Amino acid sequence: MKKRFFLILLVFITIFAFRFRSEPIFVAPKNWPKTSYDFKKNPLTPNKILLGRALFYDPILSKNNTISCSSCHSQYTAFTHVDHSLSHGIDDRIGNRNSPALTNLAWHTNFMWDGAVNHLDMQALAPINHPSEMGENIKNVVAKLQHSHLYPDLFYQAFNDSIINGERLLKSISQFMLTLVSSNSKYDSVVRGEGMFTSQEERGYLLFKKNCNTCHTEPLFTNLQFENNGLSVDPFLKDYGRFRVSQNPQDSFKFKVPTLRNIEFSYPYMHDGRFKKISEVLNHYVSQKSKVSNLAKELSEPFVLSPNEKVDLTAFLLALTDKHFLFNPSYSYPREVFFGRANGK
Amino acid sequence: MKVKFLFILLLLFSFRLQAQNKVLPVLLSPVFGEQKLYLGTDWYHIALADSIQIQVLKFYVSKLRLLEKSKVVWQEENSFHLVDLENPTSLKWNLLIPPTITFSQISFDLGIDSITNVSGALGGDLDPTKGMYWTWQSGYINFKLEGFAPSSSANKNEFQFHLGGYQYPFLACKTIILDQINEAGFVIEIDLKKVLVQADLNKVNHIMSPSIEAVKWSHWVQKSFSISPE
Ligand code: HEC
Ligand code: HEC
Repeated sequence: MKKRFFLILLVFITIFAFRFRSEPIFVAPKNWPKTSYDFKKNPLTPNKILLGRALFYDPILSKNNTISCSSCHSQYTAFTHVDHSLSHGIDDRIGNRNSPALTNLAWHTNFMWDGAVNHLDMQALAPINHPSEMGENIKNVVAKLQHSHLYPDLFYQAFNDSIINGERLLKSISQFMLTLVSSNSKYDSVVRGEGMFTSQEERGYLLFKKNCNTCHTEPLFTNLQFENNGLSVDPFLKDYGRFRVSQNPQDSFKFKVPTLRNIEFSYPYMHDGRFKKISEVLNHYVSQKSKVSNLAKELSEPFVLSPNEKVDLTAFLLALTDKHFLFNPSYSYPREVFFGRANGK
Repeated sequence: MKVKFLFILLLLFSFRLQAQNKVLPVLLSPVFGEQKLYLGTDWYHIALADSIQIQVLKFYVSKLRLLEKSKVVWQEENSFHLVDLENPTSLKWNLLIPPTITFSQISFDLGIDSITNVSGALGGDLDPTKGMYWTWQSGYINFKLEGFAPSSSANKNEFQFHLGGYQYPFLACKTIILDQINEAGFVIEIDLKKVLVQADLNKVNHIMSPSIEAVKWSHWVQKSFSISPE
């Protein structure tokens, strides 16, 4: 009898252990849309995420070993470039676009302001090769990693052998980026019924749902589409946006709708970083736009917002700040990897 | 009991099939008209006053299939081959096929299909370190041809054709079907003269992104494949 009991206990423990083991690393927040990334082709594991995180923070990915992904995507600004309107790369060369915030990328289907990149895995190739970003090429990066003291070991821990190739490199960087989920702002706590808006935020939320939600759609605060929000064209940059990729004239000056999560910290704003403050953005939306044929229909008439309403709307936008995200230690520079080993571990 | 017997029979049978797969050798032979094509040194005449030198010839062949009377009798699994004139082993395929099939045609894609193009990072011949992936805009380069020609108006008289595009209206991946192949093995010729006599290198000497021009060139390249008669 007693034996039987232990047997049953054992079975239970095993089942539990397995349940625990298979606890998914990536948990989509409740009631969010389905993710787009195919996790089956690149299942997340702690060691691969750590490898990806090391790569994200390591300037070894650039030609002269000075620029890392984090140079243009810093955690404290929701993974955008600190205070630069156009991104800065190696040799202080200036790119032609503002670096976007990196949040909730598992839901995105197209990347870059014009959607030129069709899969998260392939994203890293663009900055690595861009002459005014990292100025490298991936074949060289793989060779550098193979000869480093650090990476053969990290790849071994991630993949059970120390082969380093382009596929593994790119998938590991994706692994880290996929973990960058922002879902703990005040807004989220209100949605989950754990917190409450102030009356000002509440009024701002109503204004938001009326004016902004068709494009900056909850809960991602982007509909992931390309839209023309009526910015005047910069005569120097002459950026045609989505048109460059699709060659469809209807796509001229359309850009990927950016998320508004952590907007408090991700300034400057827009694809060319032309606005520094949220107030400038709101002034843009209430001003008359030049009538181009593909201007979004929601914007054909300027929004009408009183000064008080602008304040209310701003209060709501600030409720999208997610401190858990901005200060999450598992997204930060992996000191333990770089220093732990440099000191002989 | 009976089930067990059947199972063993099945097992034996599948082993038999496995063991007796036979090798179908296929060679790729890049030529320029009557001449064999070599990289780097040789000059080839396209017209009386114009000649050409090839530095790079690299392309993808995918979805290999054998057919009999237009019906597919075999298709290769995970079928992606990067052919690179600089790498002789890439010009020689040993296809493992069942011994029982009869076939007289081969079909394959010149390039990479659209679904594979949007499937993220892939390995083997599709690894982006192979230099056949665009970086500023996602997508595989199906076909790369680079070299020099006095008629090219570009810097140093060079030309560079990187053909690709997986999205409408610039679909560049082309299917090729070749007839009258030998069941014991055969040679596929790709004749660059057929491509380059149609080009005007003075006007167009660079293609570096999906475009109408890239689609037109892909069509020319598609027509340059044939089964070698000998
Ligand atoms: C020199 C600055 C710079 C560096 C270095 C850099 N990026 Fe970026 N990143 C940008 C800019 C600018 C854009 C937008 C480019 C565009 O739209 O043309 C961008 C866009 C992105 C996007 C698309 C986001 C979206 O919502 O569409 C991702 C993902 C990304 N970068 C990841 C990375 C990774 C990973 C690295 C390191 C391998 C990296 N970046 C290195 C500046 C940089
Ligand atoms: C028709 C779609 C649409 C509507 C409606 C819309 N936006 Fe936008 N918004 C965009 C697009 C597209 C961009 C990026 C434009 C660019 O950079 O060229 C953008 C950019 C922004 C940015 C800059 C984000 C960043 O990280 O650079 C802010 C802030 C913003 N919008 C706030 C709002 C607010 C607040 C409202 C409502 C009052 C609103 N938007 C309504 C499409 C829209």
